[in-house]
Amino acid sequence: MVDWVSLAIPFAYLGILVGSLATFSYLYRQRKANKAASLAPWFGPHLQRNIYLTLLHLEPESTGEKKGPAVPETVLKAALLRRATEDVQRVIAVRNAKPALTTLLQRGSVGDDLWQRFLRAEKEIEEELRDVIQEANAFTPGWGATIFQSANEIHNNQTVRKRIEEIQSQAATERQWWDKKRENTQAQFMKELESEKPSTPKAKPTESPASGSVTANPSAPEAPAAAAAAAPQTGNTAGSEEDAVLVESGGPTIGADSAAGGGAKAGKKKKGKK
Amino acid sequence: MDETFTLLPLHLDPSSKAISTSSTSSTSSSSALTTELATLNALHRTLLSLETPGKTPPPPIPVNPKRSAAITKMRENGNAHFRKGAHAEAVRLYTFAIDMALGRPVWEPAGLVREEVAGLFANRAAAQMGLRNFPEAAVDAETSVEMKRIGNAKAWWRRGKCLVEMGRLRESKDWLGKALEVEGKEAEIVGLLAEVKKELERRGE
Repeated sequence: MVDWVSLAIPFAYLGILVGSLATFSYLYRQRKANKAASLAPWFGPHLQRNIYLTLLHLEPESTGEKKGPAVPETVLKAALLRRATEDVQRVIAVRNAKPALTTLLQRGSVGDDLWQRFLRAEKEIEEELRDVIQEANAFTPGWGATIFQSANEIHNNQTVRKRIEEIQSQAATERQWWDKKRENTQAQFMKELESEKPSTPKAKPTESPASGSVTANPSAPEAPAAAAAAAPQTGNTAGSEEDAVLVESGGPTIGADSAAGGGAKAGKKKKGKK
Repeated sequence: MDETFTLLPLHLDPSSKAISTSSTSSTSSSSALTTELATLNALHRTLLSLETPGKTPPPPIPVNPKRSAAITKMRENGNAHFRKGAHAEAVRLYTFAIDMALGRPVWEPAGLVREEVAGLFANRAAAQMGLRNFPEAAVDAETSVEMKRIGNAKAWWRRGKCLVEMGRLRESKDWLGKALEVEGKEAEIVGLLAEVKKELERRGE
């Protein structure tokens, strides 16, 4: 004869145990899911994807009785290509971030949240790539195989062109700086020349307007010419000291002399060019 | 990504097929949308000029040889003018060639563009040096180096030389030092660096 009452106690114990465990598990999972859902996405909104899908769903506008044209296929293709380009950038970002993030996570420098966000972004981008390939194949069979190659080149080309633009935009400021500097050095040069020849004061009034015009119109060949013109005047007043000063202050002049040599050299080098 | 997307206020121009946005708010997101649409329309125009069936961009390789041939011809032309000493004309031709190289369809290999442009900028730098436009030459040489760091000793040398001409000896020394790291013992760079160092010493710096 089974004693039902005494048997009910262990069963009740088991029931309560399993029940409480199940409740805990349910609550825990739900909370975790909520937390995961509230995590901020890794990337911002995918603008190119939104544009593409909007265009895909764009209803032909009916103005009056005439129906507007549907979106042409080439526009959709361009939009898809833009979307693929953005995806390439995201894939690169994910790949670059992964090793660093793994190390940081192992060291405990970043939280689990960040890692969850990252994993989700990775999964999202995989699905996105698959989706784009499908769409591309739907337009032209076989395009899916090459669309990301094209997108990658588009991405690289964009970076190249941006970099070139950046560097080339410096040219204007460099030119301004150079013009100003040349003017300054010439003015300084002239001033030094004049202060160096107090023994020939007569030449001064006639000389200074001329030198003024030289500095106002800075063109390279004039500098050596002016130096040459000034040299005899200063040369007779004092000996080697004057020469030293001339050389010292004549930074640009020396540069100009060697520039002629440099130009010739460049010309020579040029012949070996492809 | 889940199966949702944000519907954007887009509008298709029936005649030009250009996409525009009808939202007039001037927030940062709408300005991003406007620039994106401009890029999209530009890309669409290049797609329309394609000759492939279905107007689908071809894979990056092989490259359409027409443009490469035109660029090469332009460069040869520029080189010829340069040798004759017609530097201004050479600069003009090189500039043309550079524009043409940068005007390649964007899906063509970027490596090829880099290679072409590096040579062209180096040549234009030389021509600018011939015209004694040192700032422009320095910038061109820098661009060339940026596009092709290794095996581009001439461009390294040219920027170094231009900096010397402009009296920026310190900068030139740093630049040439970097050049030696990248290019190894290139005789011309070593020579120029020695000159620069001597000049710096003479000035007592």
